[in-house]
Amino acid sequence: MYPKKLEKFLLKVQKPGRYTGGELNSVVKDKSKVDIRYAFCFPDTYEIGMSHLGMKILYSLVNAREDAWCERVFAPWTDMEAVMRENDILLYGLESGDEIRNFDILGFTMQYELSYTNVLNMLDLAGLPLRSKDRTSLTPVVIAGGACVCNAEPMAEFFDITLPGDGEEVTNELIDLLKEYKAKGASKQEFLQAAAQIKGVYVPSLYEVEYNEDNTVKSVNPTCGAPEKVEKRNVADLDSMFSPSEFVVPFLEVVHDRTTVEIFRGCIRGCRFCQAGFLNRPLRRKSPEVVEAQCKAICDSTGYDEISLCSLSTSDYKGLEKLITNMLPWTIEEKINIALPSLRADNFPKELMEKLNAVRRSGLTFAPEAGTQRLRDVINKNITEKEVLTTAAQAFSGGWTAVKLYFMIGLPTETEEDIEGIANLAQAVVDEYYKNPDKPKGKSVSVSISVASLVPKPFTPFQWEPQDKPDVLIEKQNYLVSCVKTRKVNVSRHVPWTSFLEGVFARGDRRLADVIETAWRKGCKFDGWAECLKPDMWEESFAENGIDPYFYTARRREYDEILPWDHMDYGVTKKFLVNENKKAHKGETTACCREKCAGCGANKLNGGVCDEIGKTVV
Amino acid sequence: MKSVRLWFKKDGLAVYISHLDMNRCMTRAVRRAEIPLWYTEGFNPHPYMTFLMPLPLGQVGMREPLDIRIEGEMSFGEIKKRLNAVMPEGIEIIDVAKPECKPNAIAAAEYEIIAEFANEGEAQGFALGAASLIEGGVLNAEKRSKRGIKTVNLCEMVRKFEAEAKGNEVFITTILAAGNTVNLNAELLLSALLSQFGAETENTVIVRTKLLQENLSIFE
Repeated sequence: MYPKKLEKFLLKVQKPGRYTGGELNSVVKDKSKVDIRYAFCFPDTYEIGMSHLGMKILYSLVNAREDAWCERVFAPWTDMEAVMRENDILLYGLESGDEIRNFDILGFTMQYELSYTNVLNMLDLAGLPLRSKDRTSLTPVVIAGGACVCNAEPMAEFFDITLPGDGEEVTNELIDLLKEYKAKGASKQEFLQAAAQIKGVYVPSLYEVEYNEDNTVKSVNPTCGAPEKVEKRNVADLDSMFSPSEFVVPFLEVVHDRTTVEIFRGCIRGCRFCQAGFLNRPLRRKSPEVVEAQCKAICDSTGYDEISLCSLSTSDYKGLEKLITNMLPWTIEEKINIALPSLRADNFPKELMEKLNAVRRSGLTFAPEAGTQRLRDVINKNITEKEVLTTAAQAFSGGWTAVKLYFMIGLPTETEEDIEGIANLAQAVVDEYYKNPDKPKGKSVSVSISVASLVPKPFTPFQWEPQDKPDVLIEKQNYLVSCVKTRKVNVSRHVPWTSFLEGVFARGDRRLADVIETAWRKGCKFDGWAECLKPDMWEESFAENGIDPYFYTARRREYDEILPWDHMDYGVTKKFLVNENKKAHKGETTACCREKCAGCGANKLNGGVCDEIGKTVV
Repeated sequence: MKSVRLWFKKDGLAVYISHLDMNRCMTRAVRRAEIPLWYTEGFNPHPYMTFLMPLPLGQVGMREPLDIRIEGEMSFGEIKKRLNAVMPEGIEIIDVAKPECKPNAIAAAEYEIIAEFANEGEAQGFALGAASLIEGGVLNAEKRSKRGIKTVNLCEMVRKFEAEAKGNEVFITTILAAGNTVNLNAELLLSALLSQFGAETENTVIVRTKLLQENLSIFE
């Protein structure tokens, strides 16, 4: 429910349904009967936030407690922001319409670096000071989780607490602790010091960072008994882990509007550019019976007609065939479509593909990531051209006429030949279509290639690598376009400046806080939206604060440099990452975990267990 | 396979659900309610569902029709009970019945509008002025249609118009042309009237109370 004051403006903004609440399965409680009010804040629009599985899990998890009430908050679009600022309406929770500045916890999810200015904007719209040190009362505690908090340093000044790793257990522990400290009238400082003792809790203000003259980090020193290394939180057993049986069903069309159930966490592949593949190790698997029951429950409570079995590489799930075979009878009966995102071209049986298309046929997407075998070996994307072409041929004989291919440019050791290879591979897929004797008459083939730019990320083997500058990326993109000789292949590219900004924050340090605040004051927000990104304002903000952004992106770091995120422990050892980096430069691949354990070290977080290899001696 | 007409009320938070979003919302509701729906037999099967008269964003509908097709037997009472158990806030099934009239029999709709003004004087002036203007038979306004924007005389689409001021508020009861061929949105009429007098409302509520046939009998 929105604040009464807003009523007469709602029909003047785009998509008022973003701001009204009241969707099916949204949870409304009696506020006099709860101790902790939690605002789950997604720093982007409603449509994006409502597609995010993490929010659905934590929303249900907090609301499953009698003593707490979790509400949803999204970044208002610019038209709504103007209405709110003109009429003194503060940011509110969608369920109650109450101002979130009076809540106990504001929990932000940090899925991508380009939402940092939105966090500042939301704190300001809530009527709160931006910096942790300026919010002196115990509540609201401003916390953050999600992939970006593996290096929370650029946002360290703004958040009170970050939660690296899985949120399911630590969220409850933090709520319990806050409830206790609130009851005894403790100070914010007392609470933060106690919170820092919980495994998987990082309190940035308890760490002092010293810099060398060349601006690299000299040391990071914990104070007040905070741990030297903050180990990410790891949920050991996915079967008994909390999982929602209801999703809030939006009225508006959102990006992903369907039943989504995780089938495993982690990844066996070890693609060297992929941060998620390393951050979520060790591999933990949910059993097919549990997955199926969860899918059924959510479909029943929502009426959704699509299920997405979600993971980093769905076809690597042991028991996928059994799971789908068990699910097909009731999903076909109820006209429910099963979608499998993140399939690999090399290991998905054709028969299974055909069964899946019994209800509705979805698109076909491959991610070869690089254009030549040499470069695919460098990034450890262990997939061959032959595998891509064989699967494409299968798909064409099954009646598909459109294929999407994902690639990256700006990869380490990349040459012109590798970029040309992208166009050649796309052409080979087109040729494959015309080799098919049963191709539909009069129908042409369409191959779409989407080209992203590498952003080297913390906790990957590429964390020491320089990132291509925007002008270099533009040259490479143009070269690729010039290599494409047919209109059957169309190329879509990312905005290089966006990748650049993402790169600055991904591997940034605490000195960036002032830059982010300056940029926000100049009007930067929704930086991930091409129509909102303001490169000029950002350049001014870097200059005004005396920060060279290329220090963070364009420089090759030495293996022995102290990285701003070195005091976070995601299980995977630095030794392993260094070794992977060296192998990349030699063009050597590392076998996937199913073939041979690569010894990444992440199983130590899980009592020595990795569900891929079983228990090993730590 | 048989056709069933659902009659629903849409108010409260639900007025912010657009017509397109209503389609998805109701599809999911009938799925949750496990109504034995009939699905189209195509490349992409979907349940048959037709809103007979889209309700503009922001307006309350007191009795809006939605046709569905079901397979097998289920009583109207059971359908109503099941649907109401799973409806989101603001949408209520008030009746389930056999479709009596053909969808194209809808020719008009009755609306009740409450327009709140800054003071009593403005409300009085507007109520009197609006009624006499409509009586005069000429109120030109730009109307968007599929073929572009054109100027039309709205009075030709007004079948009844009464306005009465009570305090700051003006209560309007009006019957306007509705349907596939000629249709007048109550909001367009109101804004055309307001601009004639250079007036502005503090707040407006537009309620569609019933759908009517050409002879102004109830559409069933």
